[in-house]
Amino acid sequence: MNNFWLHLFHQALFGGIAAAGFGILFNCPPRMIFECFGSGAVALAVRTVGQAADLNLGEASFFAALVVATLERVLQQFQSSRGSILSLVGVIPMVPGSIAAKGLMNLLALVRAQPSDEVLAATNGMRNLLEVTYTLAAIGTALAIPRLIYPRKTPQALL
Amino acid sequence: MSRATSLPPLSDVARLSLSVGRLLMESGESGRTIHEEVSLAACALGCDSAEVYCQHAAIIVTLRRGEEFCVQMGKVGEHGVNLRRSEAIKDTLRRVASGDLECSAAQTELDDVPHTTPSYPVWLVCLCTGLACSAFGRLFGVDWPAFFPVLVGAASGQWIRHTLIVRRQNNFLISGIVSFCSAFLAGLGARLLGSSHPETAMVAAVLLIVPGPAVLNTQMDVIEGKPNLAAARGLRVIYLLMFMTLGLVAAQRLILPGT
Repeated sequence: MNNFWLHLFHQALFGGIAAAGFGILFNCPPRMIFECFGSGAVALAVRTVGQAADLNLGEASFFAALVVATLERVLQQFQSSRGSILSLVGVIPMVPGSIAAKGLMNLLALVRAQPSDEVLAATNGMRNLLEVTYTLAAIGTALAIPRLIYPRKTPQALL
Repeated sequence: MSRATSLPPLSDVARLSLSVGRLLMESGESGRTIHEEVSLAACALGCDSAEVYCQHAAIIVTLRRGEEFCVQMGKVGEHGVNLRRSEAIKDTLRRVASGDLECSAAQTELDDVPHTTPSYPVWLVCLCTGLACSAFGRLFGVDWPAFFPVLVGAASGQWIRHTLIVRRQNNFLISGIVSFCSAFLAGLGARLLGSSHPETAMVAAVLLIVPGPAVLNTQMDVIEGKPNLAAARGLRVIYLLMFMTLGLVAAQRLILPGT
């Protein structure tokens, strides 16, 4: 049990650092860097809990992105000019860039594979790319749901 | 005062709308956000309707006001991510919507946004990017000896990227070069410091190139009914990832020849 909490803390901490780092790379306003850290930490914590509950990467990422996007929508002012900065930066640590790179590397390896290794390289490459597609679709859908359920006011209503 | 004399010319509103759309697109916003913001500005300036057609390299705006209508098209520059610039544009539009800012003054403000938006010092951006990639490495299970090499590799890669972007080099070539340099430095450092995960460290060091916001915008554009823009964004993401992978593979051949 202690190991799990330690792992959870570790994932949340480094998820927060990654989100804050990318927040600065994306020129996020300075007053929001700590919020970016919190957003990334929450996302990684929820994803880690989901994976501990036997959800796969895509499912866990879906719930993590949904929690972050919902929290942002609920806590922010309706017409804040911040838009969706927090949910964008918060889910960045969950974008499976490394799996995409491994998938493409496996497909490149297929070009120079021996006949006996071809099936393995092709299978690994396709599995990686399918996992990337599935996870990205899950994150994108989760980010869109709060916006679709709780849309912004129309311009006419704002005036 | 009649409506026609109190409102700005429709062509000026269209020009403002195009500026809003172009700047937001170049700052990494989704198609829906661009449509909402352009509609907000146009309706605040007296238009009955505003339609926006976003493409990857161009935006078309159609405005209607009574019997009048105006169609204008404008080019979009290189797509990036700049959240403070987005915020500045939206702040200007809020003041237009509330009637505190006129069309011509808003246009002047928007024209100045690229020059007046503050940004972090380059050294801080490089350091934080390196730290973010090191944190990614920890999330992937990279051991502590590889933490610092990943930081140095990714920070150096970001500095190279900044230098090449300033010189207006091709984005795909930049991705390949940055990927190679970052992965090479991270892998070399990880091996010298005795890390047991140099391969994963090299992957972590190139993650600064993964266009995360573009990937998410692609998803949002598909879901929100803008498949053309999404397809263009998606194709660009795939090519960026291909160039990133080629750089990474080249570095791995040098650092980890047996793999």
